[in-house]
Amino acid sequence: MSSSESPGRARKVAPVFRIVAIPAAVALGSVGGIAAEHGGLPWITGAVAGAVAAVLGVLALPSIPTRRATVVLLGLGGLAALRHSSFAGADRSWLLLLWAAATMLTLVFVDRADAETVPALADGVPIARRWPELARVGGVIALVVVVVAVAFVPTVTARLGRHVWPGALPSGGDIDGAPSSLRTSSQLSLTSRPRLSGAVVFTVDASHPDFWRGETFDEYHGSNWSNSRPGRVDDSLAHDDGNRVNVAPALYDVGAQSGAEFRQTFHVETGYTEVVFAAPSPRVVETDRVLNRRSDGTVQVAGSSGFGKGAVYTVISRSLPVTEAKLRAADASAIPEPVLQQYVQSANSKATTARVAALARSITAGATNTFDKVRAIETWMGENLQYSLNAPLSPPGDVVADFLFHTRVGWCEQIASSLVVLARSIGIPARLATGFAPGARDSLTGRFVVRERDAHAWAEIYFAGIGWQGFDPTAAVPLAGDAKAGGSWLADARHNAIPLTIAVVLLGLAVFAAPQLVAASRRRRARKASWSAGALHRLERAGRKAGRARAPSETPHEYARALADRLGDDRLDAVGATLDAALYSAHGASEADRADADAVLTSIRP
Amino acid sequence: MSLTPADRTTTTGRGPGAALRGSGGGHQGPGDLTLTSIVLFTLGAYGVAAGAATGQEAVVAVGVFAFTLFVVGIVWPIASLARLGVSAIAPTDATVGDSIELRITITGRASRVDVRALDPPATWRSCAAPTDGRLPHSAARRGVFRSVRIQLRTSAPLGVFVRTRTVRVALPAPILVAPRPNVARAILQPIPDERVSSASPLLVRGGGDTVRAVRPYAPGDAARLVHWPTSARRGEIVVREHEPPPALGIALVVDLRGPTPEAAASLAMGIGTATLAAGGVVWCGTFEVDQPVGEMVSDARALGRRLARASSGPPPEPPADWPAEVVHA
Repeated sequence: MSSSESPGRARKVAPVFRIVAIPAAVALGSVGGIAAEHGGLPWITGAVAGAVAAVLGVLALPSIPTRRATVVLLGLGGLAALRHSSFAGADRSWLLLLWAAATMLTLVFVDRADAETVPALADGVPIARRWPELARVGGVIALVVVVVAVAFVPTVTARLGRHVWPGALPSGGDIDGAPSSLRTSSQLSLTSRPRLSGAVVFTVDASHPDFWRGETFDEYHGSNWSNSRPGRVDDSLAHDDGNRVNVAPALYDVGAQSGAEFRQTFHVETGYTEVVFAAPSPRVVETDRVLNRRSDGTVQVAGSSGFGKGAVYTVISRSLPVTEAKLRAADASAIPEPVLQQYVQSANSKATTARVAALARSITAGATNTFDKVRAIETWMGENLQYSLNAPLSPPGDVVADFLFHTRVGWCEQIASSLVVLARSIGIPARLATGFAPGARDSLTGRFVVRERDAHAWAEIYFAGIGWQGFDPTAAVPLAGDAKAGGSWLADARHNAIPLTIAVVLLGLAVFAAPQLVAASRRRRARKASWSAGALHRLERAGRKAGRARAPSETPHEYARALADRLGDDRLDAVGATLDAALYSAHGASEADRADADAVLTSIRP
Repeated sequence: MSLTPADRTTTTGRGPGAALRGSGGGHQGPGDLTLTSIVLFTLGAYGVAAGAATGQEAVVAVGVFAFTLFVVGIVWPIASLARLGVSAIAPTDATVGDSIELRITITGRASRVDVRALDPPATWRSCAAPTDGRLPHSAARRGVFRSVRIQLRTSAPLGVFVRTRTVRVALPAPILVAPRPNVARAILQPIPDERVSSASPLLVRGGGDTVRAVRPYAPGDAARLVHWPTSARRGEIVVREHEPPPALGIALVVDLRGPTPEAAASLAMGIGTATLAAGGVVWCGTFEVDQPVGEMVSDARALGRRLARASSGPPPEPPADWPAEVVHA
């Protein structure tokens, strides 16, 4: 509109523009916080830096029109928001929302400040006060943004989003620096402490949380686990249709064969991983990589061409949605002999000590089925063992025995190993699974953000007619059948789109129509209370329809005479006289004159 | 004075508005996208495209947010201005170059709107609608104006798009803008027409040089009028009685058929004003709308109105035996 500031020798930003610095500081501070966290700095550092930059940009550059400086700053903030909004750090979506709100406020403020530099119309109504205008505009725009975002964002991302992407080529440093949790291995040591940093490993688009399983181990050797059938690297799986790779289910894993489909899309954030993480059990993997399958149903990238940063792959898993009742009823079916041989009586596994077996029997003495026995063991472990990442490393030997009877303090690998060993000692097929816990769901994007510290180990128990079912004595994870579908705010809002839309429309009507309804009601009441006001309103309405509005300086009689000429209806002259009498004379208009005027006003047809 | 054909300026015009109130019809003007719109569009397009390609909902959300601000920022000002109506009241007489004041009324609702008069463009004034107010305007051209152009603009609330709307407010009664008078000498020549003498209140009676008769002195007669020879001869004081002086003035014939009609009108206004100020009478002949008009003018305002209405066309012949001054464009 007009120029931002009037030129002056002082070279200061015009006072009306100074308030713009506040929302601009909030906007850039918010996005600066996200950017700082993305860069590994405390978010408050970026927030302060962004806020200071905004304040300086708005207030300390008098040679640049404030409007232009502010818009450029907001543009930079927007670019930063685009760059860092997908950062899968801590759930800082509130900062993103704050950025959005502050950006909108800044635009309103700067445009309003610009308008305030324009001289006011003499005798005119001054422009609306700042805060009522802001509340009205902000409310409307927020509603529109929410509705549009709910309507389009999930649709756009679902239809156009990448489900397969090669990502960056991992460098030697990426490969060397990858933690053990991201590498395939036929062995898992129980005597080394895991690396548990806050670095994000990957994010997962999925409807509900699950363990993101990488590998399983079936042979316990006291101080480590191994996989009896690790598979061969050259045993690669063929791509059936473009990027689609079908994965055969493991033998006797009923859930993997006929369970419900569960789709997940993994966005790799770390520099390198060669494990194809997936909810149990993967049946289809969409990727451009060559994969090979292990006999336990897990998948890994063939050779050393693991996923690099930015890689995206999608997995369709199958598992039976189970409940406690179903698991309790599973004992009615017999467990296949090969499963018992591999996961209970494995000759390669370290023999269970009599003390461990006695402990297992004593814990499960009152349980009548496999599920209750496993729950009893979990309960006992919860009451008698402690979780700590600072637990002392177990000496070589039987780590589980040392943990159960000596230290009683350990981390997930020792706790899960104990559950597996205890279960096996009473004839329950069990194996150790490693991978990652579900991670924290980002409330804006709905993705599960998985970090290095989410690396996890848990037990999988075999149930006849169901297959492998995960049990986590360390952390509570709902059973698949009890899991609730969840999502981002956007997804939740979209799910409730119809009631939300109705609410928005009603709210909008209330906001906009209420003042007008109140004003109309007041006018109606005034007309009812005063014959002259009502009659004058009717006369003016007729005049407007005839294209002749009443001038402020015209008396009703003058106006009526003008209308009489325009419409060719001399009766209006008398109506005007009656109105003047009613309005201005001491005695008012007679009832007869009023009745005549009403009759004329009713009959005129402009 | 030679004049050449002039355009007809008694028109609808772009210029100062006249009295009375007209409802705003008028055409919609264009708007301007601002730097803000470019920034928001770029962020929106990039965010939606990049977010959609990568499946990153947060990026799409940022893009959708920017796009929404972009669209709302365009639609809002358009909708705001579309609902506004304008009417105006103005003085009835003006002279070219004068600053006049339009009394405008804006109906409808808008939290922020700027308004100005066009032809020529005046300074923007801010207000909220509905409102009444006084809008300065300058009378730039001679003529009769039955409408005035008012321009509204707003970029509220986001400054994304500056919507401008021009409204031509119809005026039931015209405003007459007289030409600004050039400096000119009065032309006072005897006018033979007797009806002019009776029509002109400005003529000075009893001030002629020709003595018509003498009469006895009456109290109040000036001493300089005493005719001493006759008084001596008759033995009583008598005073001279003069013939009334002839009416002085000019028949001003304004022919605007030429390349410089405004200069001619200003010259005619200057001559007429000076003549009237000197006590002369002025007969003005012009061409108006579709016919020549020749009439006596009583004062400068009447002359200004005549010249405001004057347009290109053959003026009437001056009255017989009148001294005429023909002003050509």
